[in-house]
Amino acid sequence: MAQQHGIIVLFDVENALRTRSLDGNTYWFDNMKFLGSTGVGTEHLETIVPGTYFLDGSQATEQVLNWLPAALGSIPPTVPRNYLAEQGRAEERRTLDELAALNTEGGVNEADVKRLQEQVGTYAEDPGGRGFTAAKVLDVTGKATSSSDAYNYPAPVITDITGQAVAEKIIYPAQYGSPDMVYDGWYWAATVDTSRPGVYPYTLHVQLHELVKRNGELVWESVDLTCESSLKIITDPKRNGFTGAGLGVLPLPPVPAPAG
Amino acid sequence: MKEKVNIIVMVDAVGALSDRTLHNGNLSLIDDSTAGSRHQGTPDLVTAVVPGQVVHWTPIHVDVQTPVEIQSIEFLSGAAVPPPAETAPEPASDWTADEAAPGGTAGEPAASYPVASYPVEVPVPAVDATASNGFKNGDLLVWEGVVPYDMVPGVPYRYRLSLKLHEGPNSVLYVDSPALLRV
Repeated sequence: MAQQHGIIVLFDVENALRTRSLDGNTYWFDNMKFLGSTGVGTEHLETIVPGTYFLDGSQATEQVLNWLPAALGSIPPTVPRNYLAEQGRAEERRTLDELAALNTEGGVNEADVKRLQEQVGTYAEDPGGRGFTAAKVLDVTGKATSSSDAYNYPAPVITDITGQAVAEKIIYPAQYGSPDMVYDGWYWAATVDTSRPGVYPYTLHVQLHELVKRNGELVWESVDLTCESSLKIITDPKRNGFTGAGLGVLPLPPVPAPAG
Repeated sequence: MKEKVNIIVMVDAVGALSDRTLHNGNLSLIDDSTAGSRHQGTPDLVTAVVPGQVVHWTPIHVDVQTPVEIQSIEFLSGAAVPPPAETAPEPASDWTADEAAPGGTAGEPAASYPVASYPVEVPVPAVDATASNGFKNGDLLVWEGVVPYDMVPGVPYRYRLSLKLHEGPNSVLYVDSPALLRV
C-alpha cells in the first residue's frame, strides 16, 4: 500500500526575517527519495508522486501529501504546546520566592533586584493574533529572557498552498484540524490527481513572527513570506504480482510443504 | 461461496525493522473467508478457500508514512520440483523430528515426502513488473490469484509471505507460516 508523503519544510527564521525573503532560508525533506524524489535536504526539492492506474484507466492509488513546518534554532516542535507557558510560570514562581527571601533579610541590594528583574523576563503582545504568541519571551533553552536577540521564535505557520499544481487541480490542499498538538492542532495535507503526469510547481505561504518594540512594549508582528517547491507526477499500470500481467491461477506446488 | 477472499496483511513496519522480525506482534493476518479460517489475527493464518475463488492479499501499514509492500508470495513445496543444486538444502539435516510429527495430520502426500520445504519457482515475468521511472515501486503489484481445481482438499498449502519495508539490504522480511486450505 502506498505510503503517505511527509514533506518537512525547515525554516531559518532569523535569516528569513532579516532578509525578508525565504530564498536560501528553507530546507526541504521528504520520505520519497527511494522512489525518485530529488534535491532532498535542499531548497530545490522535487517530490516524486508515483501514481498507479488499473488496466481500465482508473486511478488505483490515492496519494496523500502532508506538510510539516519546522524552525531552525527553535525549541523543537515535538515538545508539548504548553511547554512555553509552563516554563514561564515556573520561572515566575521561582522569582517570587527569591523576592520574598530578599524582604526577610531586611536590606535590599540593588544588584539583586536587577537580577530578579531580568529573571522575570518580558511579555510580548500579540496584536490581534493567535493566543500562542501572547506569552513570556523565552530563549531556546526555555528560560525567560529580556534580551532582544536570544529568544525563541514561534513556530512558522503555513497559511496557504497555491500555484500551478493547485490551479490545474493536480493537488487539493486543505488545512485540517488534528488531535496532534505538535502543529498547534492544525496541519496541511493534500490529495493528488495522478492521472496527468508532469512537473508541477506550487507555492507555500508562510507566516513568521518577529519580535519588535512598539511604544516601549515588545510585540510579535507577523511577516508573510512565500517559497516554492514542485511535484513530479508519474503514473504506471498495476500488474498482477504472480503473473506480471493479468489475473491467473495461484502457483500452487503439486505437493504442499509439510506443516512447519 | 464468496467469489473473492480478501487477506489483509497488517504490518508495524517500524517495529518489524527494529525487531528484524515479523513476529513479536509486528504482523497480523486477517481474512474474510466464510468457510472457516483459523488463527485470525496472527502470522499463522490458515485461510479456508474453495476452487474458483479469487484470493487477494492487501498490505496495510499502521504508520501511514512507512512504505510496506508485498515483495513476493511463494507457495512452499513438499517435493516435486527440486531447487537449483547450489541452493539445495540438505534434506537429511533439514528434516527434523519436529517437522515430521505434525505432517501426519496433513493428508497423504505431505507426510510421505521427507524433504525440506522450499518455495515453488514462480516464472519471472520478462519485464520487471515493479519498474517505475528507473525505480522499483512495489505498489504497482496486485497480489491476487484464482484457487485451482486440482488443489488437494484438507491439506494446508503454506506460503512464504515476503514483505518489503522501504529499501536496502535489510528491507525484506518473511514468514513461512500462513497457508491456504481447500475445504
